[in-house]
Amino acid sequence: MVEAILINGLVLGGMYAILAVGFALVFGVAKILNMAHTAFYMVGAFLILIMTIMLGFPSLPSIVLAIAIMGITGSVIYKLFLDRVKEHPVAVMIISVGVAILFQEVLLIGFGGHFRGIDPFVRGFVEIAGIRATYQQVIAIATSLVALVAIRLLLSKTRVGNAIRAVAEDREIANVMGIDVSRMCVITMGISAVLATVAGAVVAPIFMVHPLMWMHPLTIVLAAVVLGGLGSIKGSILGAFILGFAETAVVFLVPMGAFLRGAVGLSVMVVVLLLRPEGLFGVVFEEERL
Amino acid sequence: MYLEIKDLTVLYDRAMVLNGVSLTVGKGEFVSLVGPNGAGKTTLLRAIAGLVKWEKDTLKGTRAGRITLEGSVKFDGEEVTNLPAHEIVRRGLILCPERGRPFREMTVLDNLRAGAFGCKDKKVVKENLERVYHLFPRLKERENQISGTLSGGERFMLTIGRAMMSQPKLFMIDEPSVGLAPKVKEDLFARVKEIYEQGSTILMTEQDVSFAFDLAGRNYVISKGHLVGEGTAEDLLADESLRKTYLGL
Repeated sequence: MVEAILINGLVLGGMYAILAVGFALVFGVAKILNMAHTAFYMVGAFLILIMTIMLGFPSLPSIVLAIAIMGITGSVIYKLFLDRVKEHPVAVMIISVGVAILFQEVLLIGFGGHFRGIDPFVRGFVEIAGIRATYQQVIAIATSLVALVAIRLLLSKTRVGNAIRAVAEDREIANVMGIDVSRMCVITMGISAVLATVAGAVVAPIFMVHPLMWMHPLTIVLAAVVLGGLGSIKGSILGAFILGFAETAVVFLVPMGAFLRGAVGLSVMVVVLLLRPEGLFGVVFEEERL
Repeated sequence: MYLEIKDLTVLYDRAMVLNGVSLTVGKGEFVSLVGPNGAGKTTLLRAIAGLVKWEKDTLKGTRAGRITLEGSVKFDGEEVTNLPAHEIVRRGLILCPERGRPFREMTVLDNLRAGAFGCKDKKVVKENLERVYHLFPRLKERENQISGTLSGGERFMLTIGRAMMSQPKLFMIDEPSVGLAPKVKEDLFARVKEIYEQGSTILMTEQDVSFAFDLAGRNYVISKGHLVGEGTAEDLLADESLRKTYLGL
């Protein structure tokens, strides 16, 4: 039981972490709450489903292609729908929820409301220190970690990463550094959609793929980001793992716990907001008074 | 003229911040812009740097976005009035903003790297970095420190250094001395002088008139969005009414 919670918690936490990082990144840089974020994850998973099962492509190229397509889609959606309204938070919310529902409806028309599985990319299982995990789970955990390290390196080591952080901190001054703020937002949205697709690719073979799969992760991602402190990437990763483990523990330990999964994230979010509104890592830099 | 501003007018909603300001800066000149608080000094520099236009475009459709911007800004023979701010930077017109405003959660080095964003040649970036470290050795010591924890003087060194990383042709410095201790102030102005003597063109706003007049070859006096005087320090100080009303000397 403990092993099962550990393995599943890591898989789930890793997936939530990738999703939450992408969401937090867009919030930090473009200052928008992108409610369509987990819809990218869903569409990414569907693209992989289409390519591997329906078209019979090998899995790795399908994943790469799906990631590329979604990266571009994310950027285009931002440029077309969100960039021009990004100073109006309510409009952003409505439009991004609209985009998510658009994806959902298109997929419902195309595929119906069925739950579909994708075959594991690698079969079999491995035993590490007496804990049994399928290869697919090991791959999922490893991929999450690699993705998180990669995004960290991208942000801290590269020229564009540095510019993205600059925009996140002070948009106005970033302008004076010669940084095209709007372009950085487009790039960030692309990165965020890429991360969402990685999450989709990682878990598609473990969980089911269906046109409503974006809703549950969205509440969890919102909760993780609130838990960690809005805008803090480190915090949202921690928040995601906490929620991943909490959810897994509830599923395994509480009778009929599987029905309570969704409640866990929201309860955590409410409690955190009540006790520590700035979240675990949320720092409020006091602004200088003039 | 290197920088030529004609009839620049800026209104925030219905509050007129700049009213038909025209000024020029020649190549290799050190020009200061002095005036009391709220005279429009910062807005003038922000308008030249394209930030007022950026603000207007970004906040379009919101209450804060009702900004009127008229007039023309010419730099090095080219009309830059309607260019986006990041394009203006690429032409070498660099603003070091009021209170410096470093990226506070980033390290000193990352701040400087952000300043070098427009420069893709790694060798040139390294040379510029050496130059900044040579001018401000303190920054090298604090390379990996989070810049939010720097002292006021260091913070300003950092933001001057950051602006230098963008390879300024014309360097606009907004109120460098605000909030600094007199000793730090003196040191800072010595550095600004050093930068000028290395062959930059500088347009600096300042509330501390005595320092500004010491450094600059030519000065503008601004009050309530109007230019009320122009000339060398001697000319301006000779005008009794100007001296008493606007300069407080």
